[in-house]
Amino acid sequence: MRSDIIKMYKDVHTWTGIVSGLFLFIAFYAGAITMFKGPLQEWSSPPPSLGEVTSLDRSPELVERVLAEYPDARGGYEIILDNSARYPARMTWELPSPDAHDHDLPEFMHANLAADGSLVVGSSGVSPVGQLVDDLHRQVGLLLPHGIAMPIMGVVALLYGVALVSGVIVLLPTLVSDLFAFRLGKNLKRMWLDFHNLLGIFSLPFHLIMALTSVVFAFHDQIYGAQELLVFNGNNAFIERQRGVPSEVADAQERLAPAAIVARLKEQQPDFVPRRMIYNGAGQPGPALVVFGDNPRYGMRSPDGGVVGLDPYSGEILMTDYMPGMQSAVGASITSFFTLHFGSYGGSPVRWTYFLLGLGGAVLFYTGNLLWLETRRKKLKKSLPGKVEQSRASKLLGALTVGVTLGCVAGISASIASAKLIPGLESLSDHGHEFIYYLVFFTSLLWAFLRGVARAAVELLYAAAVACALLPTASLLSLAIPGWGWNHPGYTLVVDLVAMAGAALLVLAARRTARRIHRAPIDSIWYSATCAAILPGPASASVPLHGNRA
Amino acid sequence: MKSFRYSSQDWFGKVGAGCVLGFLLSLAIGGLVARYGMGGVGRFAVEHQFAMWLASPLLVAVLSTCFLFRSSLQAWLWLGAANIVAWVLLLLV
Repeated sequence: MRSDIIKMYKDVHTWTGIVSGLFLFIAFYAGAITMFKGPLQEWSSPPPSLGEVTSLDRSPELVERVLAEYPDARGGYEIILDNSARYPARMTWELPSPDAHDHDLPEFMHANLAADGSLVVGSSGVSPVGQLVDDLHRQVGLLLPHGIAMPIMGVVALLYGVALVSGVIVLLPTLVSDLFAFRLGKNLKRMWLDFHNLLGIFSLPFHLIMALTSVVFAFHDQIYGAQELLVFNGNNAFIERQRGVPSEVADAQERLAPAAIVARLKEQQPDFVPRRMIYNGAGQPGPALVVFGDNPRYGMRSPDGGVVGLDPYSGEILMTDYMPGMQSAVGASITSFFTLHFGSYGGSPVRWTYFLLGLGGAVLFYTGNLLWLETRRKKLKKSLPGKVEQSRASKLLGALTVGVTLGCVAGISASIASAKLIPGLESLSDHGHEFIYYLVFFTSLLWAFLRGVARAAVELLYAAAVACALLPTASLLSLAIPGWGWNHPGYTLVVDLVAMAGAALLVLAARRTARRIHRAPIDSIWYSATCAAILPGPASASVPLHGNRA
Repeated sequence: MKSFRYSSQDWFGKVGAGCVLGFLLSLAIGGLVARYGMGGVGRFAVEHQFAMWLASPLLVAVLSTCFLFRSSLQAWLWLGAANIVAWVLLLLV
């Protein structure tokens, strides 16, 4: 390929990467964690106080009582078949929130029947921190109003898409020779480049999926709107397609009880595991009854699984647009886009794979920024051989890179841990977790600018390790001090174990970075006069110290 | 005459053409696929969603390749011509 085209795409890759890289780091790091949103919500939420979950057989009685006493539920309610921290009771309904924006999460009420037949009603008490991590993921770290954050996310996704294509073009001429090359050695830029390329090219399909789906997640409203305005008119107007219609019913005919619906569904789709049944009130769009559930043999539309529409009187399947294994070719294609983004297929192994791919993505963007810094250093060295001072741009980007990435890592951990460490945080403030996240995040960023890249990197890595270690610490304290905190039996232990592993990795990274600094040449972004003076290494021994802080 | 060499100098005009005309082109192609590929679509039916999804890969493809036009002017002209063809096929045929 022509060298001028390669050079041009190198520029394109550099600039799209630099602009989007740090947003993408946050999106990928938080996204990796959202793969385990369920266990995390369980870990961070106190045991529910809604009594024992009502048996499915008694749910008609429960529904009748709730509809009589709580008019809000008449607009629609859910029967939960698979309880969790988010859905701790058998029945759930949404509280009306007329001022809320479309994308705001509504508030839910939950209800069980007590043994004596009285209603137990309350909110779930689920910690909002799981949702916070999800919001950080979807809004690339910007907890601004949805209408502002999403277009920014969309632009980042477009830049990311262009960065992927341009990165591959730049790599193409040397792809075969460099593919398996990983040159550990003196040339650090070469090593980081090999690592960046290796990571990028082998996770390219994953990254392409993320870029292309995120563009749609950001801009679907705008694209639908523009299409409606410009395309689907006149000759191209929308057509009416015949859908399944509910069977004719006499008014007197009773709806099937939830248990009977589950049985009818099992007859028709034995592999489908129903989790939630959503009853829509009269006058609501869509089928009167939809069921969310999993069929591990297929990809599923949402992280909550696939969806089937049922006739509430007969239990017949009416709507299969989003039903795993029953979709049309076009429907299944669209589901595959969602599925590949959410990793909602193949169960736990895919979840763990996505977790690692997400963390790998974060590393890709981090190494991308490092490469830019190293390249700047080489260019500077060539043009001004005697100059050892880092350029302003390098200092700025170096501090941003270290502060944003490590601030995000530490902030998320601290915010999650605070759910268990600070009882009643949510009753103090609606935004307690956001406050803790941003406090840690901006303190880290400020620290990186005040201390300089090299020293801040080591210190912030240790700080992030401490924040990670707060999670198992909170669990241990709950174990040791009676009446304080909580520990759920079962898989939430994995949350503590992963946090411990994360803390260990961060300590390791801190130690390695400290060693790296001692050996850093004076013009490196990693050079720190103070560290070099304290612990003279081969580079610092030979150069005079002029208080240069990289 | 010196042979033409690509550079990233003219990026703003090219990217501008890619954003504006690339978006319009992706809408038109989505409409063409809906009409000729799927025989029309129902509002928010899966076919409609598919036509919407096409905008994303098409826009990223245009934005990634718009740098290969020799100048901003050429980018606007070529993408403009492609738009005219697509929209004529969609709206006037």
